[in-house]
Amino acid sequence: MRPAPDRGPGAAHPAPWLLPAVLVLAAFYAVPVLDVARLAVSDATLVRPASGFSTQALRAILTDPALPQVLGTTLLFVAVNVVALQLLGLLIALTIARGERRGLHGMAAFRTLVLAAWVVPGIANGLIWSMLFDEAPYGTLNSLLAYVGAGPVAWLSDPRMALVSAVIANLWQGTAFSMIVFYAARRGIDPTLYEVAALDGAGPWRVFTAITLPLLRRAIAVNTVLVSVQTLNTFDSILALTGGGPGRATEVLSLFTFNTVFYNLDLAGGAVLALLLFVIGMGMTLAVLAAGGRGEA
Amino acid sequence: MSRARLGDLASYLLLGVLAVFFAVPFAWLVSLAIRTPAEVYRGAARFIPEAPTLDNFRTILSDPAFLIYLWNGLKLSTAGAALAVALAIPAAYACSRIDFRGKAAVLLGLLAVQMISPLVLLVPLYRWMSALGLLNRDLSVIAVYGALGMPLAVWLLKIAFDAIPKELEEAASMDGASRPRTLALITLPLARSGIASAFILAMVMNWSQFLIPFILLERDADWPISVAIFNFAGSISASTTQLLAAACLIAVLPAVAVFVALQRMIVTALIAGAVKG
Repeated sequence: MRPAPDRGPGAAHPAPWLLPAVLVLAAFYAVPVLDVARLAVSDATLVRPASGFSTQALRAILTDPALPQVLGTTLLFVAVNVVALQLLGLLIALTIARGERRGLHGMAAFRTLVLAAWVVPGIANGLIWSMLFDEAPYGTLNSLLAYVGAGPVAWLSDPRMALVSAVIANLWQGTAFSMIVFYAARRGIDPTLYEVAALDGAGPWRVFTAITLPLLRRAIAVNTVLVSVQTLNTFDSILALTGGGPGRATEVLSLFTFNTVFYNLDLAGGAVLALLLFVIGMGMTLAVLAAGGRGEA
Repeated sequence: MSRARLGDLASYLLLGVLAVFFAVPFAWLVSLAIRTPAEVYRGAARFIPEAPTLDNFRTILSDPAFLIYLWNGLKLSTAGAALAVALAIPAAYACSRIDFRGKAAVLLGLLAVQMISPLVLLVPLYRWMSALGLLNRDLSVIAVYGALGMPLAVWLLKIAFDAIPKELEEAASMDGASRPRTLALITLPLARSGIASAFILAMVMNWSQFLIPFILLERDADWPISVAIFNFAGSISASTTQLLAAACLIAVLPAVAVFVALQRMIVTALIAGAVKG
C-alpha cells in the first residue's frame, strides 16, 4: 500500500469505506456473471440443478433457427433507436438551450413533459401505446387518421409495422435521457466561443458544425454507449406492447432470453443467451469508448 | 422580422410539434380513463367525453387488491432506494474525500456494471434466493433493488460531497470528531439535497421495475403495481379499455407526480452527473 499522502482529510485508509460497495459489486454483479457463464455450459433447468458439464445448451441455442431472426431484429431495433433517440434528444436539448438564452417562455414546461414520459414504468408504456395503436376502428391513432382520410394502419399486426411501433413507443420514453446528457454538455461549452463566432459573422449552421458538434463529441460517444446498452436491455415495454409478436417480429434478444428462462424454464439455454447479451453489451461499450478515445487524442 | 425572431418562431414550431407527440399518450390515457364503455367506441370523435365519469377509478380502487399492489410498490421501492443510498454513502464519501490508488477504476467500474442487464443477474440470483429460502419475500426484492440502485447513487453522492467545502470537515476534525462522526454531523446534512435526489431517482426506477418482482415474487398478494397491471392487462377483454386506462393512470401517476414536483432538484443533480461523468 502506498503511504497515504499527508494532506489532512485526504489521509485515511479507504478500504473500510469501500467495503459495502465492493461486497455488493461482488455478490450481485461479479459472481452472478461468472455463475451465468458456468450455467451456460451445464444442463441446469430453473427447477433442477446442474449435474455436470455440457455444451448441449450452447449448441442448441446457437443452432436454434430463431436466433438469427432474433439477432437481426435486435440489431435493427437498437440501431434505429440509437440514431433516432440521439437526434431527437440533441434537437430538443439545443432548442431548449437556445430558447433559454433568448428568454423564451415554456422551455421548462416542455422539458418537464419529456421527462414525465421518462418516468413512466416500461410495462405501462407498453400498455399505453397498445391502446394508442389499437387497430379497431375506434383505436386512437387509426380513428385520428380516419379524420384525414388515411389509414387504417396495421400498427401491431403487420410484422414490419410492429417494429416501427415498438421504436415509436421507445422514442417516447427514452428521448429524455439523451436530452439531459446533451443539454448538460451544451451548457458546459464556454460561451465566449460563441461570442467570437458571432463577431466573425458565422451563421447558425457554421456555428453548429464548427463549435457545438465537435465539443459535444465526447458526450455523443458516451451517450451512444449508454443508449445502445439501455436499448439492448429493454424488454418490458415490448413485452407489454406486442409480446414479441406478431410471430417473432419484435422479439429482441432480451425478450427472447426472458422467454427462454422464465417461460420455457430452460436455464442453461437462457444462461447462454444472457451471456450473449452481456458480451454484446460490453463489446459495444468497449468499441465505442475505444473509437471515442481515439477521436479525442 | 429579424433573424433571431425567425429562430424563435422556428423553435416554438418545432417544440410545438414535439409537445404533441409527448403529450398525446398522457392526454389519451386520461381521456380513455374517464369514458363510459359506450364512449370508448367513439374513438377520436370524443376526445373530451360527453359524460365524463370517475366510475373507472372507483371500480379499480374499490378492489382491495389494487390498494395492496400500490402499497407493495411503495414499500418495495422506498426500502430499495433507502438501501441503495445507505450502501452508497461510505463509498461516495471515500471517492470524494480520500486519496487512494484505483479510485478512477472504482468509479469506472460502478459505471460499467450498470451496463449489465438485470436479466443476466437475475438468472443466478433467482437460484440463490431460492436456495436461501428468500423467494416470495420482500427482502429479496429490496436487496436486489439496493444493489441495482447503488452504482448511480455513489456517483450522485460523490458529486454532492465534492460540492461541500473540505474546510467545514477540517474544522470538525480539529475539534476531535472522528471521520464517521464528521460525516454524520457535518457532511450528510449539508448534502441533503443530493441525497434526496439520489433517493428519489432510485425510488422512481424501482417503481418502474417489472422483471425483479415478477420473478422473485410469485404470489399475487406480494406484487407491486407494475407487475399487477401487466397481469391485469392479460386478464381482461378489449371491452374494458377504460378500466385498463384507469389502472395504468393510477400506476403512472405517483412516479410522474413525485418526479415533476421534485424535478428541479433531480435534474440539477443529473446534469451535474452528466457533466462530470
